Amino acid sequence: MLFRLRVILLLVLVLGALFSLRQPAHAIPAFARKYSLPCSACHEAWPKLNDFGIAFRDRGYQLGNEKDSPIWQNPSYWPITMRITPQWHRESSSNQVVDTVPGNPALGQTFQNATTHGFDFGGVDIWAAGTLYKDISFSLLPSSDSSGSFHFENAFVRFDNLFRTRWVNVKFGKFELDNLVSEKRMLFLSNNGGFYQVYHYTPFREAQFRASGPSIVQFGDAFGIGDNQLGVELSGHSENSYTRYSVALLSSNEGNPGLPNRTYDGWASFNQGFQVGKLGVQRLGGFAYFGQRPTFFNTSLGSPVLGQGLGSKSFYRAGLTGLFYIKKLDFSTVFVHGWDNVFLGTGTAANASLPVGARGPSWNGGFVETHFTYSPQLVFVQRNEIVRMSRQVFSADPRDLGDVDAFSFGLRYYPFMSSRAGLALHTEYSFVRSYKSASPLPTSTSPFGPDLRASSVFVGLDFAF
Amino acid sequence: MGTIIKCLHLIAAAIFAFSTAPDIARRTMAITRASGATTRTSEAWPGVPEDGTVSGTVRVTGPQTVATRIDMAADPACLKMHPAPVMSDEVVTGPNGALKNAIVYISEGIGNHSFDPPTIPAVFEQKACTYNPRILGMRARQTLRLINSDPTTHNIHPVPQNNREWNLSQPPGSSPIEESFAREEIIPVKCNVHPWMKGYIAVFKHPYFAITNKDGMFELKNVPRGEYTIEAWHEKYGVLTQKVTLETNQAKTLEFVFKR
Amino acid sequence: MKHSRMRAHLAGILALLLAGGGPATFAQETHIGGLTGEASRGKQLYRRYCVGCHGPLGDGRGENAVWIDPKPRNFVTGTFKCRSTPTGALPTDEDLYMSVTRGFVNSNMPSWLPLTEQQRVDLVAYVKTFSSSFREEKPAAPVPVPSESAANQQSIQRGSELFQKMNCWACHGKEGRGDGPSAQTLVDNRGYPIPPYDFSGGTRFKCGESNQDLYRILMTGLDGTPMPSYASGLTPAQAWDLVHYLRTLQINAKHKRPTADSEQKHRSESKPVGEELEGRANRF
Repeated sequence: MLFRLRVILLLVLVLGALFSLRQPAHAIPAFARKYSLPCSACHEAWPKLNDFGIAFRDRGYQLGNEKDSPIWQNPSYWPITMRITPQWHRESSSNQVVDTVPGNPALGQTFQNATTHGFDFGGVDIWAAGTLYKDISFSLLPSSDSSGSFHFENAFVRFDNLFRTRWVNVKFGKFELDNLVSEKRMLFLSNNGGFYQVYHYTPFREAQFRASGPSIVQFGDAFGIGDNQLGVELSGHSENSYTRYSVALLSSNEGNPGLPNRTYDGWASFNQGFQVGKLGVQRLGGFAYFGQRPTFFNTSLGSPVLGQGLGSKSFYRAGLTGLFYIKKLDFSTVFVHGWDNVFLGTGTAANASLPVGARGPSWNGGFVETHFTYSPQLVFVQRNEIVRMSRQVFSADPRDLGDVDAFSFGLRYYPFMSSRAGLALHTEYSFVRSYKSASPLPTSTSPFGPDLRASSVFVGLDFAF
Repeated sequence: MGTIIKCLHLIAAAIFAFSTAPDIARRTMAITRASGATTRTSEAWPGVPEDGTVSGTVRVTGPQTVATRIDMAADPACLKMHPAPVMSDEVVTGPNGALKNAIVYISEGIGNHSFDPPTIPAVFEQKACTYNPRILGMRARQTLRLINSDPTTHNIHPVPQNNREWNLSQPPGSSPIEESFAREEIIPVKCNVHPWMKGYIAVFKHPYFAITNKDGMFELKNVPRGEYTIEAWHEKYGVLTQKVTLETNQAKTLEFVFKR
Repeated sequence: MKHSRMRAHLAGILALLLAGGGPATFAQETHIGGLTGEASRGKQLYRRYCVGCHGPLGDGRGENAVWIDPKPRNFVTGTFKCRSTPTGALPTDEDLYMSVTRGFVNSNMPSWLPLTEQQRVDLVAYVKTFSSSFREEKPAAPVPVPSESAANQQSIQRGSELFQKMNCWACHGKEGRGDGPSAQTLVDNRGYPIPPYDFSGGTRFKCGESNQDLYRILMTGLDGTPMPSYASGLTPAQAWDLVHYLRTLQINAKHKRPTADSEQKHRSESKPVGEELEGRANRF
């Protein structure tokens, strides 16, 4: 009973942490200032990049007019951008297990909706990025949560146009994977809508095991395609950046510096843009991430020995992406297939025996995100997302256990469009339904609860300078 | 016969650049053919005799300025042509402050009357690494003939506001270049190779303009009766404006005095 | 064919004008290759990409203009640097398209190549609405670029003599380093100082990189700048000789030294800062 409550509590914490992942979004007025270009030159609607912005980033934050290196900059220029988002938001979750009489668990538990709302803000991004020298670019992004505790979202140096070809660029440090549909640049900010489910999906059983696993099992954070990773990337692009590729070798530590590990993950992506008449550029691409994670530590007198992750087990994510433009309407689409090794899927150390009948979970997911860019200053956004398990850890589990339906819509209005700073009025509603993912009541005989429904309403001012 | 003489006069006028109304000949021809009358009336101004005259002087008062010396050392070919030091001819004054190279013209009062451009080209010559004349008056759509009489390459670069800008290199010994301007404007002309070379081409849509001679004198001839605004323009001293009302066969005298 | 099309456009424009349309509603069209640009679509793109520098009126007085050097182009005057047409003539649609595509080295005007061809053609169509010249004047025939003569030693020698005779050195300097005796006096048509091209710097030309582009620059001039057209002074053969000689002045050109050390690679960026800013101190 107590153990079960602990599991539930941890599960809620893990899911909560997952859902409250606030992706620092990327938009850099420092570049606008440097090049005197308005936000809209590089951003379809900031922070989402347009074709010109993609090419600018691919060139290593360079325009290619022989004026990119710092030696051209006015010495008083400071390549630093800050972004803050004060907001009012309302969060609601269904089917939360609460004591029937608060403070008296002995009288039993019941399901109840939990709703909170109020004023808030989401932390600060302090972003420095630019060039150190011609064809040497950098980015450093310390990001804090609202309590002011900082982490480094990214920190890298990139050598551009090596061997004088745009097909060879090397990035070194912590950086975002080359996602054609970038989660860092999404136009959603709320707790339930501000990340892509398919980029972070963890099967229900796996999350459950993670929450209850023995302490010597080392998993680190759940893997997310959208998360920045530590490693080295080789990338290249055509002159107009319609053809792009990226391969990367990454530490198996989910981008967490200092975490012990001694294995590596691999990433590859390719995408190709096509000009289709008056419609614009249509981009198609694919990506694959192959990773491994240790399942337990060496121990000394029972305590984990740091740096000695053992029993690595693998997982992969592979997907297809597409960006489609029909004049003012555009669609960002992603399909992901995911698979985790059964040891990861059940939180079992590789030297221990697996639960009976356990299998490596696999799933498919995808989304269609629609933007209607009425003008560079007003964009309407909407997204439908689903994740469907194709193989549960246990064949006896319900087919739809842990499936996700998500839906978001909103608008962003930019009252001015200049090359000095940016301000967006952001409103959004997001809804997520996670099948059978609520914790069951302690009295329940089923290991699964009802569907978990969570929604967010978000009204905020998103500004960067 | 009279026409031929007038034509000769006109060529001289264009070259020496204090001409007035270089296209009177052509219009006069048309009129004589049409009516045979002795009183000239304008094609553009039907029925109105154009026999008024506005003349006078342009002067400048105030402390004398010293002309700056032009250093042509950058191009030895130019230097060679000037054994004596060359002084700027931006401001050339005569006795009593008489100001040369001011343009006096009717700026308002012409209305919508339109005039055909003369068929004779206006000539702008590059000679001894200076412009001859420094101030050229010409008509819109009149042919502008550019001549390089120097043993060095010039480029003629007018910098207009209302006309199309062009910029042509003219090496020594090359044949004259012909261009024209479509709209009224006083256009600075420079030679980027020889930065000291400065000139102006004043383009008018009507024939009522004159460039003052060394005595500061100007004369606008054959002006029909009417109310006019007359402007005097000088490249350094700017613009002065006077209003004048002209009756038939009247001659008026104006004096423009720039202050330094 | 082209002219009748042009006339058709003019008729369309007139019809619109009579119908009470302002300049913003001009159905200015642009034809490049098989693409037809429309000003109405171009206007949206202009607002997104261009307005910050070139301004809502196309007069080069956008909100950033004051901070930019060289200044953004004023489209209203209809004067354009990179043309295939003679000096003083309007550029062809293709010329404007290439300028948008290529960008202008050493300026704030980037290459807009990442935009689709259609978008760039639409932008050209809209840019043309700012100047009445495009409605009033017919585009001139492009200056022909005959096939290139052999770039041999004799040609280079003749080119070197022409560099002398045509006074190229007066601005570009004896060695093409942009340090001729007149270099410091040069201003563009808005009175802003403008440095002559430094052949030794290793940057590409403003209006393209090929020998044909260089030939065209010589014969058309760069309107709005002190660079004149040599069409009346050079025969085509002479112009090619000059092209061949000018190429020898590009001692740091990348295609010649693919393995140039980093200092040389950087030279094109690092060189102008000190001395040029001094020369431009009176700007602000």
